[in-house]
Amino acid sequence: MSRFEIGDRVTVREATTLFHHRTQAYTRGRTGVVVEHRPEWLIPEHEAWQLEDGRVEPFYVVRFHQRDLWPDYTGLELDTLETEVAEGWLDPAGEVTQ
Amino acid sequence: MPSPSDLDALQRRVLGLSPEPAARLDSPYWISNEAYGALRHVLHDVGGQPDAPVPYVDKEEEDWELRTYVLCEVLAWRGVWNAEVRRRRENDLGATLYLGLPYYARWLSVAAKTLLDKGLISVDELAAKIDAVRARKEAGS
Amino acid sequence: MSHDHDHAHHAPIEAADEVSEFDVLETAIRELAIEKGLFSREDHRRFTEWAERIGPHGGARMVARAWLDPEFKRRLLADGTETSKEVGINWLDPTGTGTPSDNTYFYVLENTPAVHNVIVCTLCSCYPRPVLGQAPEWYKTPHYRRRVVRWPREVLAEFGLHVPLDVEVRVHDSNQKSRFMVLPMRPEGTEGWTEDQLAAIVTRDTMIGVALPRAGWTGDRSPAATPRA
Repeated sequence: MSRFEIGDRVTVREATTLFHHRTQAYTRGRTGVVVEHRPEWLIPEHEAWQLEDGRVEPFYVVRFHQRDLWPDYTGLELDTLETEVAEGWLDPAGEVTQ
Repeated sequence: MPSPSDLDALQRRVLGLSPEPAARLDSPYWISNEAYGALRHVLHDVGGQPDAPVPYVDKEEEDWELRTYVLCEVLAWRGVWNAEVRRRRENDLGATLYLGLPYYARWLSVAAKTLLDKGLISVDELAAKIDAVRARKEAGS
Repeated sequence: MSHDHDHAHHAPIEAADEVSEFDVLETAIRELAIEKGLFSREDHRRFTEWAERIGPHGGARMVARAWLDPEFKRRLLADGTETSKEVGINWLDPTGTGTPSDNTYFYVLENTPAVHNVIVCTLCSCYPRPVLGQAPEWYKTPHYRRRVVRWPREVLAEFGLHVPLDVEVRVHDSNQKSRFMVLPMRPEGTEGWTEDQLAAIVTRDTMIGVALPRAGWTGDRSPAATPRA
C-alpha cells in the first residue's frame, strides 16, 4: 500500500548515509511533488549487499523545481528535474522525521 | 596574438599550475567531523559538483570492454552478484581508482575483487592465470 | 567542426600496440569463472549475441512508429516495456528475466512544445540498453553526470541545442531501476515519409535528449536546432 499519492508534496529526508545509497545529496531536505508511482522493489541499500530478503518499498517519481534544488540555478524558473525516491526516504512536506 | 589552439593550450597549462598543497593526506592524527563527512561522501554521488566544460567525445568500444560487460552481466545472471553490488563495489574502490580507471576497467576490477571476497577464486590462482594469459596473448594467440 | 562527420566511428582515444592488461584480466577472470562453473561458455555466448544485436535502431523504430501511429504512441507512453515487443524488443531477453543492469521498467518521455526532456544517471550510467544499445562514452563520465542536472541549458548548448525560453527543460536523473528514452517531436520537412525514412533521422543523441532530429541529418552530434525551428 503506497503512502503517497500523485500530487502530494514530499520532502526528501536528511538522514546519514555511508558506503552506499541512491538518494542523491542534491535532493536531501528538498521538497517536490509526486508525479508518478513506481512498482515496489528491493531497496538499493539492501540489494547492494545481496540481502535477497531485504526490504521492498514502493518508489515514487518526484518532480522538483530546479530553483529549489540549486541556490544559484542559472537556468529558467520553469525548469524541473525528476528522479525516483524510495518511500522510506520521503516525508510529507512540512513534517520531518528524525 | 596566439591562435585559438595555442591559446587553448596555454590556458590549460595555466589551469594545471597549482602551488604545492598545504596539507598532504597521509593518515592524519585527527580530522574534524566536516572533513570526515567529505571523506565519507559516497563517491558516485556527483550530481551538481562544479566542473568545467569539456568536448563530448565518443569512442569505439574495444573488444575487451564488450567482453567485460558480458562477463559482469553473466556473473549476475548466474547469481554470483547483482548490478547494485557491482555499483557499490565500484564506490568501494575509493577516489583514486574510481576516477583513475577507465569505466569498464572499474567493472573488471570489482568483478575480480568480488570473486576473491566470496572465496570463489583465490588471489594466487588469479595471479597465475593472469601471467599465463598474458604470455599466451603476447605470443600471439 | 564538420557537420557531416559521424562521431560514433572515432578511433579509440589512445592507440595501443601493447597487449592491454585489461584484456588480460578479463580473459583471466572469464576462464577461471568457467573453470569453476560460475557460468557456462554457452551463457557467455548467448549474452554476447544479444549484446551485439542491440543498438539505437530499436528506439528509432519506436519513435518513427509513434510519429505515424497515434495509437502506438499512446501504448508506448502508457507501457514502454510491453509496447517494446511490437518492434521486436523483449525486455526479458536474453536471460528470461531481463538484464542485470537494465531491469524491466522502461518509460518513454514525450517531448512537447512545452517540455524538453533530457536523461542522465548521475550515480552511475543507467541507460536503456535493450532499446538504445551501449551508452555513449560521454554519458558515462563524471563530467556529464555532475553538470547536466545543475546546468542543463549550458550542457545542451554545448551539444549545439538551444532550448527556447518558453520551453521547460526537464532533467530525468535515472537513479533507480527505471530506464528512460526520449520521444522527440517530429521535425518539419518529413511530411509523407515512411517509417524507415523517419527512423533514419532518429539518432541515439535525440533519444537521450541532447539533440533534436532534423530532416536530412542522420549522424549524432547534429548542428544546433531549437525545438520549434
